[in-house]
Amino acid sequence: MTDAAGALKQAMTSIEGAIGAALVDYNSGMALATLDGPGGLDLNVAAAGNTDVVRAKMRTMDMLGLQDGIEDILITLSSQYHLIRPLTGRTGKGLFLYLALDKSRANLAMARHQLTRIEADLEV
Amino acid sequence: MRRALKQRVGRRQLIALETELLAELRAVKHRVPHLAGGLVASVDGLLVAHDTHGTEPSGLAAMTAASLSLAQRLADTTGQGEFRESLVRGEHGYVATYAAGGSCVLTLLAHPDVNVGRLHLEARRSAQRIAGLLNDSLLPKDPRDPG
Repeated sequence: MTDAAGALKQAMTSIEGAIGAALVDYNSGMALATLDGPGGLDLNVAAAGNTDVVRAKMRTMDMLGLQDGIEDILITLSSQYHLIRPLTGRTGKGLFLYLALDKSRANLAMARHQLTRIEADLEV
Repeated sequence: MRRALKQRVGRRQLIALETELLAELRAVKHRVPHLAGGLVASVDGLLVAHDTHGTEPSGLAAMTAASLSLAQRLADTTGQGEFRESLVRGEHGYVATYAAGGSCVLTLLAHPDVNVGRLHLEARRSAQRIAGLLNDSLLPKDPRDPG
């Protein structure tokens, strides 16, 4: 089991191409933990903005009558990948992991796989 | 505050200032979903501009000043420096107060669903712009004045 800071550190060091990671509470839009990388992203801004993304998707699923959960959300920019992964554990309700990757260095399949494992290990 | 402003800037400018402040309040409301309303008050509790519905704005301005003085002392005695912002969370929503320069505050009311991270982000920027607007009105650019 890892704590929030440990999980972000693991994500930044073990996932190739990681340029920023955050653990965010989407009820408040505030970050519980952030870890800057070489990307220079303001992760608190990213936390607030991506909270709206997660909420919008949840609302949409609700309106469509889908009784399902979000496993992850992938946003592809021209030079970056942004991965959002809501936590599924008992202690992680209402939280999501946010990971920004440099597209030219990252392996998307590997990054998703690693993020899944980090999420499973995370105890908040 | 209003009287002080009136003496210094004149009526026409005061109306212009109020219009600009109202535009700023509406802009924040537009940018942050689930915002119920907001007001700008002086630190001594007088209402400068407001965009609230349902809440009595002058009473809220006075209460803001009361809680502000306590928050200021609290920050001061614990060595946290100048007051920057305070957030009250109730069962049915939030009341957030942000310092807008040294003489005024921005108070915003929000529903419980509000994205607090975003609220902070937008309100801090807005408070800075409001401080700028107030500064420009209180210190009119006078070519004879070297300061």
